[in-house]
Amino acid sequence: MDYFLQNFPQQLVNGLELGSLYALVALGYTLIYGILEMLNFAHGDVYMVGAFLAAGVAGFLVHNEVAAVPAGLAVALMMLVAIGGAGLLGVGIERVAYRPLRNANRLAPLITAIGVSLFLESAVQVWISPAPVLVPTNALVPQTVFHVSNVVTPLTGVILFVLAVALMVALDAFVFRTRFGSAMRATAQDREAATFMGIDVDRVILVTFFLASALAGMGGVLFGLRYASVDFFMGYLLGIKAFTAAVIGGIGNIRGAMVGGLLLGVLESLVGGFISSQFQDTFVFLALITVLLIRPQGLFGQPLTDRA
Amino acid sequence: MAQPRILVLIAMAGIGLAACGGGSTNGAAANKPDKVQIAAEGPFTGDQASIGAGALKAITLAVNDFNKAGGVNGTQVQLVIWDDQHSPQVAQTLQAAGIADPTVLGIVGPMNSGVVLGSVTGLQGATPPLPFVSESASNTKVTDSGWSVAHRVNARDDAQGPADAKFMIDQGAKKVYVMDAKSDYSTALADQTEAYLKAHNIPTMRDQAKATQTDFSTTIQKIKSFAADWVYFADEGPEAAPFVSQMKQQGLTIGQNINFLGTDGEEDASIITKSQGAYDGAYATNITADPAGVSGSAAAAYVTAYKAAYGPDSLSSAGPFYGSAYEAAQTLLQAIKNSPVKNGKISRADVISHLASDTFTTIFGSVKFDAKGDVTGGGIYVYKATGSNMVVVKQVSG
Repeated sequence: MDYFLQNFPQQLVNGLELGSLYALVALGYTLIYGILEMLNFAHGDVYMVGAFLAAGVAGFLVHNEVAAVPAGLAVALMMLVAIGGAGLLGVGIERVAYRPLRNANRLAPLITAIGVSLFLESAVQVWISPAPVLVPTNALVPQTVFHVSNVVTPLTGVILFVLAVALMVALDAFVFRTRFGSAMRATAQDREAATFMGIDVDRVILVTFFLASALAGMGGVLFGLRYASVDFFMGYLLGIKAFTAAVIGGIGNIRGAMVGGLLLGVLESLVGGFISSQFQDTFVFLALITVLLIRPQGLFGQPLTDRA
Repeated sequence: MAQPRILVLIAMAGIGLAACGGGSTNGAAANKPDKVQIAAEGPFTGDQASIGAGALKAITLAVNDFNKAGGVNGTQVQLVIWDDQHSPQVAQTLQAAGIADPTVLGIVGPMNSGVVLGSVTGLQGATPPLPFVSESASNTKVTDSGWSVAHRVNARDDAQGPADAKFMIDQGAKKVYVMDAKSDYSTALADQTEAYLKAHNIPTMRDQAKATQTDFSTTIQKIKSFAADWVYFADEGPEAAPFVSQMKQQGLTIGQNINFLGTDGEEDASIITKSQGAYDGAYATNITADPAGVSGSAAAAYVTAYKAAYGPDSLSSAGPFYGSAYEAAQTLLQAIKNSPVKNGKISRADVISHLASDTFTTIFGSVKFDAKGDVTGGGIYVYKATGSNMVVVKQVSG
């Protein structure tokens, strides 16, 4: 019991950091599912591309001794490029791989999604690097480490958590408080009816893809800052876990994806800390199966469509 | 210990057989084979490219050097590249092409023990069997299972595990956190090390990393809680950099309040860069020698040639096996060259018997395989991450 009490706070913090990353990526799955009822399996790889873009910017700045630019500015630049790049990639994927299939059999876009996923992984592997690439965080962000009683976390971990939560709140406000958000929810509820109401559905879908992919890109940046290393395969398992988080929370439900992500991160951390590292992933997917058996619609019940 | 004597007898029998079967090796030298191919197999791309990419460059260089020196009686050796991505399934598919082509005479690789164990029955079952010389597969089963196709130039787990454990004990280890990376190679090695530590009354705690794991915060908290003074991580390499970076971030600084011993894949200077210096002061043992770290003019000449071929900075990304890969290629090529040519063809069966009987000249001196396919006198080397290099601090003979 002593062991548990001593270690619990640290493992909880570890889990929340990891979970906020899952949540950020899970939001993308849920947004796109909410609008199109399709699973964008390339989403994890969009996150990977975002991470590589940020690593590229960081590497460029440090390599050219432009690191004299203030740390905040360098990080902001990384985020800008990654968000923009990932967002545009998402939009491009929608145009090329999903839009032509919008009225096709439901399986068709699922298969092109897997195709896009494999393409992105292979492209980065062949053209960029088959080995992990360093993000030179030492030169970009202060290596401050916070100690609160016996809990330790680096500055980059705090940045990861705070920014992720801030983005989730902002997204929530965007979807539920703005005109465009209403248009998104209307499209999610009934695409045809939304068209009759004068909503430009194609534009809504494009913006949704941009937002979802930009969030994934941001996740990639935050990951790179926290863990200082990116590789072409990093989106695979994370994508599956974020998808799991989205399903646990109730796919299509934005707040569900956030809570699902955080829960999953904490669960993984606690299982690793107190049961066994070997069983981390086993428990993650056991949680998925349990939720699907007991509450198939996910923890947060109704999908986006019924909430509008 | 009656075993060595038996080995000698078997080895002598092998030489006898080869002498009978081969006939006059010198006489065959005038005979030019039509086509000679060897394969390089390993994880050349993917998450373990850090160990594979440098090895492939080394093998390519070895084949080029061999061809420049005249090849096999004037025939240039062609290198085919099998990128198995450390998957036995991929390996089997690639090997099937080689098994079907009698001019593919041998494999340099596979590099991963798991790949060897998952594909060796196909190589052994082929007619004639397709021999391989691995530069890095260290699981004991690779050569202990009686396969005539199996050879390796590196030392074995049962030499490395105890050597690693003994090194930590000699350095004053009190409590060791033993980790592996869930692979045939790393789990077996960590078992050996842990068993030795336990037998010497050193408390251990066992944990596992996952392939391509990047978040180690949970594990690090457990290390702190266990109050380990040494972390032992048997790994192919890619997980080490994020692991040690996060150790530092969470207050465990190598050389100050924690010591770190890695294995082959972690004898890699690029980890120092990738961990942004957090790896400085860590130790790693390697089952093969680093040509840049041993004395000997052949090894030094090879290092110069490698840099000339791949650039002055190429050693930092050459990985731990760029020496043993060249060495393994040298043994296989010489065995092929020593084999008789009949009607423009060399038989794989002859290559196998020459691998068993001959003594080879390599960048690390002369090499001979014992009856099981292990090299005699393979050493374990201890390296320390110092500045931007891995520097040999100790050699433990095998």
